[in-house]
Amino acid sequence: MSRNNHQSSIINNQSVKRPVVVLGLGNPLMGDEGIGVHLIERLVALAAEYPSVDFIDAGTGGLSVLHYLDGRRKAIIIDCAFMDEPPGAIRRFTPEEVRSRKVLAHESLHEADLMQIIAVARQLGQAPEQIVIFGIQPEQVQPGGELSRTLAEKIDEYVSLILHELEQ
Amino acid sequence: MSKGTININVHHVTRIEGHGNIVLNAKNGKIEKLEWQVPEAPRFFEAMMRGRSYEDIQTIVSRICGICSISHSLVATKAVENAIGVQVSEQTDMIRLLMHFSEQFQSHVLHVGYLVAPDLFNAPSVVPLVAKAPDAVKTIIGLHRLANEWSDLIAGRTTHPVTLRPGGMTKIPTEQQLRELQDRIKKCMPNLKVVANVVLSVAGNLPNFERPTEYVSLKQNKPPTYTFYHGQIGSTDIKDTVAVNDWKTVANEYVVDQSTAKWTKWHRDSYAVGALARFNNNAELLSPGAKAIAKTFGLKKGCCNPYMNSVAQLAEAVHVIEAAIQLIDQILTKGLKPEVVRVSPKAGKASGAVEAPRGILFHEYEFDRKGTCIGADVCIPTNQNHANIQRDFEKLVPEILGESEDSIRQKLEMLVRAYDPCVSCSTHMLDVQFVR
Repeated sequence: MSRNNHQSSIINNQSVKRPVVVLGLGNPLMGDEGIGVHLIERLVALAAEYPSVDFIDAGTGGLSVLHYLDGRRKAIIIDCAFMDEPPGAIRRFTPEEVRSRKVLAHESLHEADLMQIIAVARQLGQAPEQIVIFGIQPEQVQPGGELSRTLAEKIDEYVSLILHELEQ
Repeated sequence: MSKGTININVHHVTRIEGHGNIVLNAKNGKIEKLEWQVPEAPRFFEAMMRGRSYEDIQTIVSRICGICSISHSLVATKAVENAIGVQVSEQTDMIRLLMHFSEQFQSHVLHVGYLVAPDLFNAPSVVPLVAKAPDAVKTIIGLHRLANEWSDLIAGRTTHPVTLRPGGMTKIPTEQQLRELQDRIKKCMPNLKVVANVVLSVAGNLPNFERPTEYVSLKQNKPPTYTFYHGQIGSTDIKDTVAVNDWKTVANEYVVDQSTAKWTKWHRDSYAVGALARFNNNAELLSPGAKAIAKTFGLKKGCCNPYMNSVAQLAEAVHVIEAAIQLIDQILTKGLKPEVVRVSPKAGKASGAVEAPRGILFHEYEFDRKGTCIGADVCIPTNQNHANIQRDFEKLVPEILGESEDSIRQKLEMLVRAYDPCVSCSTHMLDVQFVR
């Protein structure tokens, strides 16, 4: 969580959006919840090999995801996900293949459901043709800057799956 | 309905993310239970900051909240600088203020567009609102996009800023980028007025409810400014102001049984913070366009209808646009120059305050002589509003108890939404079931 890590993971102020975006979602201060951000930090080190891809640490910005999706051909979204899988499991899926179990209270802007944000983007005609989500089942979501050992030991596997997706 | 039984239990618990619960039980016109119940939000961050360097604090706290991350980073940076005795340059101060304006604009547009508008159009959320009012939603999203790009330019990215450091900035925009930003900000004003007119067309759906309330916000006298960033702590109940370092004598945090979050009170048994509080303390200092918006909606200083917080947000959105245009002119007139920042750690303890979009936000830090954090305290606007939401409930419900259960529920939910509490912002993970 050093400042340099975060700076290195930003692609900002660029005038033209690249056709493919990889979004890492989550909070790295909440244990496995931050897996998306941890993976973006790894992937951004390889960014030079992928000139048509933006790698973005989208944190917990909620509805701001709308704007990261707009104007792209393909979006790959990496997020911590409860999927009834064993901790550390990673699953690749499209929005059509799942149903969100989240029940938002709509009390606050601070709530967010990625599946609803994708639905809004599609309704507005601002969604990429292809959206692929990599969900990673957490072992622990609690205050603390570290990933669980279960997820930390699988980082290389996760990275190679995402890179494979980028080759598609 | 008043002679029947009412059981409202708006209770949303996802696996991790907390939500506020609304509980109302009434029988034969008598209220048996009426509670606004909330989980604690970001206290654990205070423990995380202990042992960290003074240079890292603003980066850590940027993750407390995905909506107010700029405010948390700015207030932490100010508190750290106060604690170690660092003064920043006028240039740094102006650029940070411009950054802060971007968050006010972003949050207010989002709040009015995504959270309040669905209520006014009788839509359960923004998703069905897209079908009901597609043009209005697209206009709102366009304004939101401008706000995000404004944050990107000054804060280094949309959320979780990375350009702040104690003593200065790690990166500043170029003069050309500022000119382009100013040009885009100027062009957004017609769209902002479109949104205001859309809200105005359905403003009659805002409940007519009033409760005399103490409103607390920053006040800045030198020079007199509608402030989000500088100044001391003011209240509609007093003429003087209180120094930021004395914020604990304002918040007077206390524990209640119905909530794990701490509540606050000052001159009364609750107080409110946020756009309406700022308006009630500083309305005469709004920009001309913002005053015009307030007038259009009939919003006057002294308003104590909490539902009008959303109108105050609209007025503030116009204000930050007009103030940002002026501020960019000032920055460009003085000219941008590179600055070398040299800061040495030293022992100290101090606080900072800014106005987050949802209200006044306090951070306090203590460092040892090596600049290692040995104490941290954060008091967020949402916690300062909890007691006030409860008191609003207690006055509102007897007034509407004769209405249908659905109507009562909606008015209570709308009231909570008007405050936009930050109760679930530090985690946003997916929770999905595979259907094929």
